[in-house]
Amino acid sequence: MFDAIRRPFGYEPVIRKEDLKKKDAKKTERANNWKSTLLRIWKLVDEHRLLLIAVLSLVFVSSALALLGPFLIGHIIDQYIVPESFDRMGIIIAWLVVVYIGHSVSLYLQNYWMVGIAQQVIYRMRTGLFEHLQRLPVSFFDKRQHGELMSRMTNDIENVSSTLNSSFIQVFSSLLTLTGTAVVMLWLSPLLTVLTLIIIPLMYVSMQWITKRTGRLYKEQQHAIGELNGMIEETISGQKIVKAFSQEPRVMEEFLEKSERLRQTGFWAWTYSGFIPKVMNFLNNGSFAIVAGVGGILALNGSVSIGVIVIFTEYARQFTRPLNDLANQFNTVLSAIAGAERVFAIMEETEEKDDQAVNAEKELQGYVEFDKVSFKYEGAEEDWTIRDVSFHVGIGQTAALVGATGAGKTTIMQLLARFYDANEGEIRLDGTPIGSMPRETLRKQIAFVLQDPFLFEASVYDNIRYGRLDATEEEVREAAEKANAHEFIEKLPDGYETILKGDGSMISQGQKQLLSIARALIADPVILLLDEATSSIDTVTELKIQEALERLMVGRTSFVIAHRLNTVRKADVVFVMEMGQLVESGTQQQLLEQGGIYANMLADAKL
Amino acid sequence: MKTVFAYAKPYKIPIIFALFLMLLELTVELMQPLVIAKIIDDGILEGDQDRIVQYGIVLMALSFIALVSGIVNSYYAAHVSQSFSFDLRKAVYGKIQSFSLATFNKFPASGLITRLTSDVTLVQQILFMGLRIMLRAPLLVVGSMIMALVVNAKLAIYLVLVFPFLLAFLYFMVLKGVRYFSFVQQRLDRLNRMIQENLQAVRLIKAYLRGKYEANRFSEVADSLKIDTVKAFRIMETILPILLFGMNLSLLAVLWFGASHIQANGAQIGELVAIVNYAMRMTGAFSMFSFIIMAFARSKASSERIEEILLAENVLEKDGQGKQAAVENGSVVFENVSFSYPGTSAQVLKDISFEIKPNEKLAIMGATGSGKSSLLQLIPRFYDATEGSVRIHGIDVQEWSLPALRKSIGIVPQQSLLFTGTISDNLSWGKDKAVQDELEDAAMKAQIHDTVEHFPKAYGTRVGQKGVNLSGGQKQRLSIARALVREPSILILDDSTSALDVKTEAALWEELDRERATMLVVTQKIRTAMKADRILLLEEGEVSAYGTHNELLEASALYRQIALSQQEEEVDEYV
Repeated sequence: MFDAIRRPFGYEPVIRKEDLKKKDAKKTERANNWKSTLLRIWKLVDEHRLLLIAVLSLVFVSSALALLGPFLIGHIIDQYIVPESFDRMGIIIAWLVVVYIGHSVSLYLQNYWMVGIAQQVIYRMRTGLFEHLQRLPVSFFDKRQHGELMSRMTNDIENVSSTLNSSFIQVFSSLLTLTGTAVVMLWLSPLLTVLTLIIIPLMYVSMQWITKRTGRLYKEQQHAIGELNGMIEETISGQKIVKAFSQEPRVMEEFLEKSERLRQTGFWAWTYSGFIPKVMNFLNNGSFAIVAGVGGILALNGSVSIGVIVIFTEYARQFTRPLNDLANQFNTVLSAIAGAERVFAIMEETEEKDDQAVNAEKELQGYVEFDKVSFKYEGAEEDWTIRDVSFHVGIGQTAALVGATGAGKTTIMQLLARFYDANEGEIRLDGTPIGSMPRETLRKQIAFVLQDPFLFEASVYDNIRYGRLDATEEEVREAAEKANAHEFIEKLPDGYETILKGDGSMISQGQKQLLSIARALIADPVILLLDEATSSIDTVTELKIQEALERLMVGRTSFVIAHRLNTVRKADVVFVMEMGQLVESGTQQQLLEQGGIYANMLADAKL
Repeated sequence: MKTVFAYAKPYKIPIIFALFLMLLELTVELMQPLVIAKIIDDGILEGDQDRIVQYGIVLMALSFIALVSGIVNSYYAAHVSQSFSFDLRKAVYGKIQSFSLATFNKFPASGLITRLTSDVTLVQQILFMGLRIMLRAPLLVVGSMIMALVVNAKLAIYLVLVFPFLLAFLYFMVLKGVRYFSFVQQRLDRLNRMIQENLQAVRLIKAYLRGKYEANRFSEVADSLKIDTVKAFRIMETILPILLFGMNLSLLAVLWFGASHIQANGAQIGELVAIVNYAMRMTGAFSMFSFIIMAFARSKASSERIEEILLAENVLEKDGQGKQAAVENGSVVFENVSFSYPGTSAQVLKDISFEIKPNEKLAIMGATGSGKSSLLQLIPRFYDATEGSVRIHGIDVQEWSLPALRKSIGIVPQQSLLFTGTISDNLSWGKDKAVQDELEDAAMKAQIHDTVEHFPKAYGTRVGQKGVNLSGGQKQRLSIARALVREPSILILDDSTSALDVKTEAALWEELDRERATMLVVTQKIRTAMKADRILLLEEGEVSAYGTHNELLEASALYRQIALSQQEEEVDEYV
């Protein structure tokens, strides 16, 4: 029992004194340019600006009425109750009723409107950011991790949202209440006011002492949480392997180690932050004692009245609360502004631009030329990903791209769809450089079938229709039939209306492939970019896919990253890529006869 | 909530201590208006300065007591809540580790992760708050009321009267609010999923020019989120003004009727002031109520989710009689094995029999869903066969000691997964006390040694989160090496060479063929299957054909069809 009582004081300190002396470079998250950030938020308020001003005026009213309440009560005590003359007290009470009604109504209205304004601003930020993301080039997404962008879209915006919802009014009313209280108190009794305000420096010092520690401790705690959660995520998703290798004791041990670390840091973080309200309370109670004691003595010689003491005790309580709120809100508001700034930073990223509106109406035939094209990824220091590649593919022809991973096959396709622009050389479609054609015109004519097909959390129907939004139900079915997908779709619980899960867990990899072929079919493109799936698909499905692809390729200029001999053999032309360069080209037969790199590749594979 | 909060039991003494300290702090604060009443009635009105000073000092002393108990309470509350969550997390994680895969698969992985992370944290916060402030607000209201009644029951009655109405109102509003906020949460989840989807499918969306379409879809979702959020908040925002108004009105009633009581000489001014003071304190406490109840509702949902795990019935993952084979010769026998996944009736495997002699190689082929992976799962006893028996090294798997059984098996799963840590760490999963030479040896066999050596820190290179990015082929080879480190007598390869180029794959097979191990290889490639001693062709959970390549070519139409379709590709497969 004694141990249990002593235990909380037995934790090893997590931070040392030396650590505290070191100045922390970036104490809290601060916005670099909060003025322009606030200005941008103000712009988002847009047509609600007048309403926002109304809200602020209401905050003014409610803060004033909140002060008036205790003041009138003190007045009642002094004027009517102490002298025991109650004649006209009813009038004051009636006034108080009006004050209280006004207070409640203004409180309600300001929040009612503020929530509306705040959510409208957030809505604009969200959709604005999302729309902007849609217009950013692919290279932007390469540079960033999904997690980071997710965090911009979710955490940062929600942070701004909750700050606008509550902190905004709170900060404003805290400031008003503080000044108002101080002014009224000074007017009533300067001496008592000074005594009440004694607590402010005390508060400052003690808060400094605490936050210096909690700041670091919370950082430590956050780190410990991150480590632990990362570990949990990994071992849970890899549970089967943990079991296969009988590593349960090992992961348990590691888990306990990380969990213990979190307990240690968490203990100190929570203990110290737990001090804050207690210290505030103490200062509150202290000033209460001073007001009551000193006020009482002053009342004896008549320099203050009992009513004033009542007002002061209430004001003293009202005084520390906004101070506390301000201290709390300060960091919240700062980090929300910093969050908003990060969101706006993304919105300032340059969009994918189409300089010329020429060739917008161009109907493409599908004659593709690469003329000495070189390309390297932005920021990549190494060599060219694509180096001096030239070729041409005729209308309706099929080109097979072969070569090892990293040889540049995928990049060729991405350049053709203008996900990236070539650094040197020119890519031409029907003789027109693709750089001079709006991306929209270009991509309208191109369809992709990727190796790892992506499906949206939507119905099968909508997933296929993605290729052409105005496709009728009839057309969707037709495409599915052509893509050999109709049969399995019919077997799904709700047929075409089945909602596919985001992770695609309901259907197999091969079936996903079929759906993405149907999607491409319905788009009816002039140019087809196709990344053939490697293995992992069973033979029966594989045959279905082959068949569907052949139907899809008829009459379209197709580029295929080939993994099957069949595909290569049927291609009109084969491009052999090696380290970003086009090393051989010709029909399969020609290449074999040449006895070059391609022939060697085949020979190696024979084994 | 019971099961979860049972984990707080070991901390009964510190909890009682923390609650006692909180109560002490509260009591001390509730004394204040009483002392004020004394100062006014006995001090100011009587003109007794000493009394005033005395009571002033009493007030100061009371504040100190409150401070000290508050500070000490922080230590206890932090200790209890941190230790509680430590224990709880340990229990949940331990329980998950003990799950058989049958139980494990009942929960989506993401759900398990949330339970261990955010749910535990939420419950922990509630406990912490509970020990510090949650009881404080209701106790403050009740305490203030009692004190007011003690000071002057006739005056305080006006406070008491209004109270049940406010409470009923509060309860009603909070119920409503909780419902609305759960709508908001659902909308928010949907919105977040959409963002994620969009980030993943950037290229697809661009290729099909669906930027505007997505933006429209998004703004619809964002709009309904906005509408629901506004609705939920507007409901919650009515609470405070109405509560305040109710309390303020009763305060006025106290003043109005207090005046007539004083007139009738039934009450003293100080008492009236004290009751006014109590009323104001209650008003302040009310603003915390809605917050507390919301937090409580959230933690209730969280603890229920955690309990789902703690109370989950664990079907298997029990050791057999703990038998171990004297010689792990590597024989694998399936005798009339049928299997259906727990909780389902459809048979995934039907009456399967085959025998692999030590050091033989069995290729398993079949379409997706034909039962290949299910069959493999029975060998390390991830699941138990519903009928028939599986014998490993001559002993029924049900009789084996699980760790011993799994120790003799090396598994390379279809999806290669590595864990955060160095390459050495990952490889040593195969064998706990493997020396560096053993690791390198296995890596060499798996054709990954040279690649690893080229990494800046070689085997000390970190992989997984925050580590280097490995290609799919590199991951596959590392996960093969990890299995080889065990020097298993049975090696299971579940289509695990798909990302390797032909050259590497050939070299790998050359090495594997030299291993003294029985091999079960799931494959789609005839070329790989041909080299096996026997081939097992599955069709809808049944053995469609079993025998050597030549036997199957003769006997099985399906096999012939597959062979034919791949015959030409056999020379191909170079990419």
